[in-house]
Amino acid sequence: MNALHTVLAAVGEGRIRGGWEYVKAAYGICWTGLSLYALSLWIRSRRSEDVK
Amino acid sequence: MAGMLKRLWNSAPVAAVRAFAAHPLVQRSFVVFTVAVFVYAAWVGLTQAPPDREMGDVQRIMYAHVPMVQMMLLAGTILFVCSVLYLFRASWRTDALAEASAELALVYGAIGTTLGAIWGRPTWGVYWAWDPRLTTVAILLVALAGYLALRRFVDDAERRAVWASVTAIIIAADVPIIYFSVKWWKSLHQVQSNPRTVDPQMVHALRWNITAFFLVFIVFLVVRYRIALAARLREVTVPDAQPRAREAVAS
Repeated sequence: MNALHTVLAAVGEGRIRGGWEYVKAAYGICWTGLSLYALSLWIRSRRSEDVK
Repeated sequence: MAGMLKRLWNSAPVAAVRAFAAHPLVQRSFVVFTVAVFVYAAWVGLTQAPPDREMGDVQRIMYAHVPMVQMMLLAGTILFVCSVLYLFRASWRTDALAEASAELALVYGAIGTTLGAIWGRPTWGVYWAWDPRLTTVAILLVALAGYLALRRFVDDAERRAVWASVTAIIIAADVPIIYFSVKWWKSLHQVQSNPRTVDPQMVHALRWNITAFFLVFIVFLVVRYRIALAARLREVTVPDAQPRAREAVAS
C-alpha cells in the first residue's frame, strides 16, 4: 500500500524531479541559435541589396 | 503539366495574391505575426502543458526539439524536390531554393539535434548514443555541410548547380531513412508519438509549436532564397539566362 502510494504520488509530477536546468539550456540554445541565424540572414540580405 | 502550372501561376487571382504578398507592409506584418505566435507557443509549451508522467518537466524540451527536427526533414524534402526539378528543367530559381533549403536543413538539424542531446542526458543518461536515429541524422548533417562546401568550391554556376543537384538527391535518400529508422530498428530513440498516445493538452502545445516553427521556417526560407537568387543572378552575365544543365554535364 505504501509502495502504491509512492507510485501514485509520482504520477502527475513525473518520476524525473526538477530538470528545469535542461529545459532552460535547450530553449536558450534554440532561441539563441534561431536569433543568430536571423541576424546572419538580415546582414546578408542588406549586403545583397547594397550590391544591387 | 508545366504549362498548366505556369498558366495558373500567371492567372489573375494568383497574381493578385503574389502582389499582395510582395508588399513590404504585408511582409513585415507576417514577421510580427510569426514572432507573436512563436512567443505564445513557447508560453503554452513551458507553462500550460502538463508535465510528463515519467519525464516530468524535462519533457517540455519536446515542444522545441520535435518541430526543429520536423523542419529539418521538411527542408531536406524541399532540397530533394528542387534538385530533381533542376535536372529536368534547369532554373536559377530551383537552384536558389535548393541552396536555401539545404542551409536551413543544416541549421534546424544542428539545433534540433543539440536539443535532443540535452533531453537525452536526464532521460537516457547520456548526451549521445550511436542509436540508428541519431546516427542517420549525424550523417545527414555532415553530408549537408559537404553539400554547402561543394557549392562554394565550384566557380561555374551551371556546373555547380548540376553537381549540387546530383549530390543533394543522394543526400536526400537519408531523409526517409531518418524518419523510418525508429520503426525499422527499435532501439533507444522512441517511435513517433501521435494524438492517440499523447495527452490532449500536450498535443495542443505541440501543434502550436509546430505552427510557430513552421512560420519561422517560411520567413527564413524566403529571405535565404532571395539572397541565393540575387547572388546567382549577379553571377550570370545575362540576368534572364537559364542554366543549361544537360550541356554542363556533357562538358
